[in-house]
Amino acid sequence: MPQWVKEDMGASLALDCDAELMLQVKDGDTASFALLLDKYRVSLTHFLYRMVQDQPVAEELSQEVFLRVYKSRETYEPTAKFATWLYRIATHLALNWLRDGKNERGQARLDEVVEDGPSRELPDHAPSVEQRMVSRVKVDEVRRAVAALPAKQRAAVLMHKYEEMEYSQIAKILSCSESAVKSLLFRAYETLRVRLAHMA
Amino acid sequence: MDCPIKTQQNKESLLDYSAGRLDRPQAGMVEEHVETCAECARFLAEQRAVWEALGAWEPAEISTDFNRRLYRKIDQAKPASWLNRLLWRPLVPLAAACLLIAASVALHTPTATAIPENSQAHAESVEPEQVERTLDDLQMLRELALTPSSEAKTPQPM
Repeated sequence: MPQWVKEDMGASLALDCDAELMLQVKDGDTASFALLLDKYRVSLTHFLYRMVQDQPVAEELSQEVFLRVYKSRETYEPTAKFATWLYRIATHLALNWLRDGKNERGQARLDEVVEDGPSRELPDHAPSVEQRMVSRVKVDEVRRAVAALPAKQRAAVLMHKYEEMEYSQIAKILSCSESAVKSLLFRAYETLRVRLAHMA
Repeated sequence: MDCPIKTQQNKESLLDYSAGRLDRPQAGMVEEHVETCAECARFLAEQRAVWEALGAWEPAEISTDFNRRLYRKIDQAKPASWLNRLLWRPLVPLAAACLLIAASVALHTPTATAIPENSQAHAESVEPEQVERTLDDLQMLRELALTPSSEAKTPQPM
């Protein structure tokens, strides 16, 4: 069985499981909410971080997403995948944040050297100073290239690349057609190829 | 296979190939085509470079108190019951404490101006004696007053 088929089946099973958990939250089961939080906390916050490129802001937005999920529990209806609903809220908040110009501080940070994940490794496993510098420069270049994308293209690329979402799911999250998503992605990758192809 | 670069739809299949989202037969067709098409080969190489560059970008770890902060926000967002609303008002406990202190002070402090129960009876029993004594005193004073004047009116011998 091809890998993508397995992934699709996994996603389908996940749909039922997460929606079921959310329905239990609706019935007042806070433990189910904790399970959903544990499952999506990291991926959602990472998505938001790559959108806004500011860790404290990403965590605040992520908390706002989960808070809204909790507040909406009584009116929740499993009309879509839980993850689609979750990322739709997250994308909406991130796009609003970017649109409202709250990203000035975040954009300023693009000029700074940011301590990202790999640089926090333990000393025993840490790469050499030179490797770390090269890696940091590369990551910084990627961050700048992604930040330069229009917000909707950025969201589409992040969901396609890091969340491994299908076109149909991205379309639901961004409230557009699948063909519009493909167009967004194609233009975004075209821009990124121009800026990042030399890194091969 | 037609050159994927020629149409938008076919370009998407190259993107999907780069992302590893094509099934085996479709992926095989792309690979076969790329061997003979320099343009598509270059496109794929560039797209693969982008894909790997994006893969190198790992975000920072999430704060360890993420859940605690979230649950605090959830608690704050919960509507408080009427009792909680009443108890959480800052002046109410203060007022209650003041009342308790005032009540305990009033109960345990002896009143300085309080009159003993038997004081009235004692006053009533003393009053006739005082009156009687006062009358006696008045009578005695009157007698004393009369005595010198009568001596003064006595004619002096020539």
